[in-house]
Amino acid sequence: MIELADLADHLRRVTVEVMDGGKSLGAGVLWPRGCVVTNAHVARRSVMEVRLVDGRRLEGRLLARDGSADLALLRVAGAGVPAAPIADSDAARVGALVVAMGHPLGVRGALTAGIIHAIGPITPGGRAWIQADVRLAPGNSGGPLADASGRVMGLNAMVAGALALAIPMAHVERFVRAAGVEPP
Amino acid sequence: MDGLLTLSNDLAAAVERAGQVVFGVNARTRLGSTGVHWRSGLIVTANHTVRVDEDITVTRPDGRSIAATVAGRDPSIDIAVLKVDAPDAAVADLGESNAVRVGHLVLAVGRGPCASWGVVSAIGAGRGPRSAGGGLFSLDLTLYPGFSGGPLVNAQGQVIGVNSSGTSRHLQLAIPSAAVTRVVDELARRGRLARPYLGVGTQPVSLPEALRQRFNLEQQTAVIVVAVQPDSPAAGAGLLMGDIIVSLGGTSITDPGDLASALRPDQVGEALTVSVLRAGEPRDIRITVGERPRRP
Repeated sequence: MIELADLADHLRRVTVEVMDGGKSLGAGVLWPRGCVVTNAHVARRSVMEVRLVDGRRLEGRLLARDGSADLALLRVAGAGVPAAPIADSDAARVGALVVAMGHPLGVRGALTAGIIHAIGPITPGGRAWIQADVRLAPGNSGGPLADASGRVMGLNAMVAGALALAIPMAHVERFVRAAGVEPP
Repeated sequence: MDGLLTLSNDLAAAVERAGQVVFGVNARTRLGSTGVHWRSGLIVTANHTVRVDEDITVTRPDGRSIAATVAGRDPSIDIAVLKVDAPDAAVADLGESNAVRVGHLVLAVGRGPCASWGVVSAIGAGRGPRSAGGGLFSLDLTLYPGFSGGPLVNAQGQVIGVNSSGTSRHLQLAIPSAAVTRVVDELARRGRLARPYLGVGTQPVSLPEALRQRFNLEQQTAVIVVAVQPDSPAAGAGLLMGDIIVSLGGTSITDPGDLASALRPDQVGEALTVSVLRAGEPRDIRITVGERPRRP
């Protein structure tokens, strides 16, 4: 499946590794205007290290962090940093193919594939997730869950049993806008 | 990446299509399970998820809950059939489960609908219930809590099996739709499956090379009759201790387990040919499959 390999290459270019003191804490998604979105539980300090796929290490300054939404926004200083295309997460369909990119258990740029299991809360009255039948491990946090065209639908944040839970991009966009950064 | 996009849309369409015949089954105290609207008014689910006999409800695909009663159940194949009044609800489009091959892409669908995906990893390899015909699908996919009894679906959205984690958390199995169809009507009519019964006790024996060559037998082993129950079909047909059973109904018998798996519930009352070697000579005997006497 050459197409899955292409998809992986594309996603690797817009996925970063978020580090602190040389220790990898998770992943992040490149956002326009030199920003990175990731999970709040990944970006725990005001200055983080951000490693791009080409090996460049940039300084990421924390612009906003919301612990309850588990979202954080970093700004990186660097020229020629790409940005991830974003999917309309409201158009997600159960059964649709999805892929996750991240650094599970320290394996850089690993792709896992699956389908959307369900969309909505996992407990009654809880927050809405994109629930995916995709294998995640520590190191995937903050990385993209993307559709078959490589557009990012959600930010991988948690595992519940065998299910991957991703924050829908609509929520991420709202968080970024509230932080004063215009959406793409 | 158009190929991936097409596949993605096909999978989503398959889930949507199968979801129209998926019912939630509320027949145990904790977590509900899943059922498939197999024929009009009949919901198939996994027997082990039906823990109560009364006050069972099912949740239709449109979210409405309606009452259901147990029409029939069989623990060994792990299938229960529930009766409902839902004449307007869509009925499963059954795929050709005999055409399923190892490696085929499949989906498991639960109520909502929600779904998981994977491949058929083996056919008939596990230690599944014999009455399923031995052709159970082993699945490389996640059966999420509550998925038991739900449909296994092919990439076209057709139902090709009924999922069951069985009694183990580590097994992902599906009973092929053809095997389910074979038992649904009988379960609905009689409430249970007849257990086919011959009334012989057997032991495996190896066949001497000379015998195999003389009678052109490919099998290395057969079974020897060591007991004949009085008044049983075997006794009536004249089977004797010491007879070596080589085949039953055209199926080679190489060990005692083959006798059980060669018989299906719908063959009770049917006459089959049992080929034996008696005193070194071949002989075909007609035997009428009986029903195993029920224990009091």
